[in-house]
Amino acid sequence: MSANGKGQLLMRNALLLLYFCGSILFVTGCWDRTEVNDLAIVTAAAIDKKENNQIELSLQLFIPKSLSMGGGQGGGGGGGGGGGGGQITLAASHKGDNIADALSKLQAQLPREVFWGQCKVFIFGEKAAREGIQEHMDFLLRHPEPRERAFIYVSEGDAKRFLELSSYLERYSGETIREQSKRKLGIQVTMQDLDEMLTGNAHVAALPYLKIRKEKQTLAKSYNYPDLFATAVFKKDKMIGTLNESDTRGVLWLRKEVKGYTVNVKPKSQKGEVSLNPVSARVKLIPRIKGDEWKMFVKINTEGAIVQNGTNLNFSDPKAIKLLEKAYQMGIKERIEYALKKTQHELKTDIVGFSDEFHRKYPKQWKQIENQWETKFPDVKVIIDVQAHVRRQGYINKPGGMPEQEVKK
Amino acid sequence: MIRNVSKLLSKTKNIGTQTKQNNQQDLKPQDFLYHDFDQNVETFRSIYVNCFDVMFRSFLLYGKTRALVIYIVGLSNTNGIEDFVLYPFMKETANEEQSFHKLLENQMPVSMVKRINTFTECIQSIATGYPILLCEGENDAFSLGLCKWEKRGIEEPAAEGGIRGSREGFNESLGINTSLIRRIIKSPALKMQPMRIGEYTETAVVLAYIEGLADKGLIEEISNRLKRIKIDGILESEYIEEMIEDNSYSPFPQILSTERPDIACANLLEGRAVILVDGTPFSLVAPISFFSLIQSHEDYYQRPLMGTLIRWLRYFFLGISLLLPSLYIAILTFHQEMVPAALLLSMAASREAVPFPAIVEALIMEISFEALREAGVRLPKQIGSAVSIVGALVIGQAAVQAGLVSAPMVIVVAITGIASFMIPRYAAGMAIRMLRFPIMLFAGTLGLLGIMMSIIAIAIHLCSMRSFGEPYLSPLAPLKFRELKDVLWKSPLWMMDTRPHFTGESNTHRQSPGLAPSPKQGGDQSE
Repeated sequence: MSANGKGQLLMRNALLLLYFCGSILFVTGCWDRTEVNDLAIVTAAAIDKKENNQIELSLQLFIPKSLSMGGGQGGGGGGGGGGGGGQITLAASHKGDNIADALSKLQAQLPREVFWGQCKVFIFGEKAAREGIQEHMDFLLRHPEPRERAFIYVSEGDAKRFLELSSYLERYSGETIREQSKRKLGIQVTMQDLDEMLTGNAHVAALPYLKIRKEKQTLAKSYNYPDLFATAVFKKDKMIGTLNESDTRGVLWLRKEVKGYTVNVKPKSQKGEVSLNPVSARVKLIPRIKGDEWKMFVKINTEGAIVQNGTNLNFSDPKAIKLLEKAYQMGIKERIEYALKKTQHELKTDIVGFSDEFHRKYPKQWKQIENQWETKFPDVKVIIDVQAHVRRQGYINKPGGMPEQEVKK
Repeated sequence: MIRNVSKLLSKTKNIGTQTKQNNQQDLKPQDFLYHDFDQNVETFRSIYVNCFDVMFRSFLLYGKTRALVIYIVGLSNTNGIEDFVLYPFMKETANEEQSFHKLLENQMPVSMVKRINTFTECIQSIATGYPILLCEGENDAFSLGLCKWEKRGIEEPAAEGGIRGSREGFNESLGINTSLIRRIIKSPALKMQPMRIGEYTETAVVLAYIEGLADKGLIEEISNRLKRIKIDGILESEYIEEMIEDNSYSPFPQILSTERPDIACANLLEGRAVILVDGTPFSLVAPISFFSLIQSHEDYYQRPLMGTLIRWLRYFFLGISLLLPSLYIAILTFHQEMVPAALLLSMAASREAVPFPAIVEALIMEISFEALREAGVRLPKQIGSAVSIVGALVIGQAAVQAGLVSAPMVIVVAITGIASFMIPRYAAGMAIRMLRFPIMLFAGTLGLLGIMMSIIAIAIHLCSMRSFGEPYLSPLAPLKFRELKDVLWKSPLWMMDTRPHFTGESNTHRQSPGLAPSPKQGGDQSE
């Protein structure tokens, strides 16, 4: 009898549990439950400054319908490209006092809830950047959805144009920009990096500077693509200038971020050029303070691979290699010097991270100078020492496709 | 005098179904056979009134003594009765006054003859297929080992196949099942305790164990639990399982059922007890841990590395079959930032036309999958393939095309379905499949938090369970490091020196240590 009663009790408990579990489904709770069908997935966002001290928030929203191919019917190609019919994203924008304001107004226009979780590209318009990005950063860092690992850019002109840019290889322009960044040809800055730079020792920041390049095609339309090899330089949270492509590369060397691009060098007394690919680059920044003189030794040890040989040198010859290495060395040194001239003497912003090196090695001296770093930085003497080697020559030694007689002995 | 079983006749082997009822203490006085032949016959006729299948064959022993053979058509060997009982006694004439015992010994060429003296025993004997011989002037009846009934041959186990290893499976006949075990374990230390359970079915049940390996307390406990069962009938070993298991409300089986003699023997050798039940090929193994349910016999018939890899594959897919639909639901409804952008876009696109929330979609699909599985088991074999085709088309292609479910959901359900069948024990697979549904509800309402809560609840439940005193998650919890060699990985056989802990402290080593061949120990003979 008692065993029976116990069984019934258990049964009742089980039924109760089942009842409660089941009833959760019908409760209008689940307060943060959002089906993907109810999300407007932001793939890229742009912030521009407009007149009357207003900003314009533009979002690149993914249109799920465009990929699902006509109401779930399987098969059928379509999709893809920009310009044509199958637009995969939509650029929606609205003005407001700040991002939050603009967003709430924009949200009112949209049937679906804006979802930042997959937004990996944030672009500030140049005007907005020049007036300061701090308050925008506050929104992005405070809101739980935007990713700290999203990339941040500054654009030439209006940032919104980049969201409307059609994309050819990738599915949408946000993805194009992101993938380009990931290849690390320009500088690559995530939201977290930017936050660290702005709050760091030097209170300066560098962001990739986006431009739209137009490629004229012989047939049909022209082809627009984003170009992010230049750099926007920030002092505090305000943009003060830009570095062009080659200066950016010099900065990349100093920031130890250099990666797979091609350097063209011209060996002495040669007609053509040799293209080299830095395979490895070890960069060391060694600060030294002697009395009042602050010095920075930049030691670079790099190895390059020959990509193309436009000269008639035969690189199985050690002399020729020496010649090339010399030229390679000078090439890198020049780049860095140019970049330094620009950042150190013209823009006077320490985006190369010297302040961190000094702080690390000379914490006491740094303490004294901390607040005058801006004025001290241009006075830092930089000594550049490049050790360049050419290690790999590819499959052939002699210049390819050149008759034996023309190859320099 | 009557109660003493004569030494001559008691030599007969006791094979399973022949239970020594003499030991039973609760014999009623009137249960004994009468001294009067007619009275006995009368009683049997009244017992078997309206039993069309019970045959009474009376004849004269040597033309003078009245005798009667009672048997059941189809259970007894009628040819044998004719040739070995009727023919010798009817043909010959008694040469002189032979004692009845001598007579049986010399004239009746039947190997198994047992003297019994109660009606209960007689009825049992007849029901099991052993004909009863009653003679005038004799107080005892004789149960003759002339049973013969139709039975299935030894076939490959249907639910527990494999690439390597014995292809024999248990079948419905207890005698054959015990012999299959005995053929593997020849030591007399293998003990088989017989008992009969079931008021009406009187099903023969055998509790097998190896003396010296199995814990005495354990055997006593199992035996007690078995003896306590008072039930109308035992039709399958599940009846026994439910009556003796610790926790009937748990989805997880606490007793392993197997139809493979090699698995039964492996468990016997590990000190577990095996319960064989007449009428079903499924024997029961107790006690077990959770890990016995997700290990397959083939793990041991493979190279240790492969065994380990496959075990891990199984653990991984165990997780998949329990959690994949729930994770999919949770990510799709709560944590959209957790998947790569490209994947989310694809999923969003595929879900665009689906009218249901992810949880409803998943429930529809999972329930139809379970329905298909169940239908596949129940349906006749000829229709089975048709069902699978229709099922694949309906819940696969058509549902996606109609926009009722999204293609990724079909993939998720399919992977989950396959994963759940990777668990070698069907009962354990069922448990995992069943638990999937509440977890899905939690995932649909509380997201990953709900999934974590359910995992914790399941873990607590598993930790709290015991199978015949054996912690269900052992050797993982409580941690028995020595025994992980057979759980987290599969060590080579020569490293498995020690027995599982529940075999008792006295007999801890199953083999001598250092059995790994090496040149020093004569492993390399060619030198």
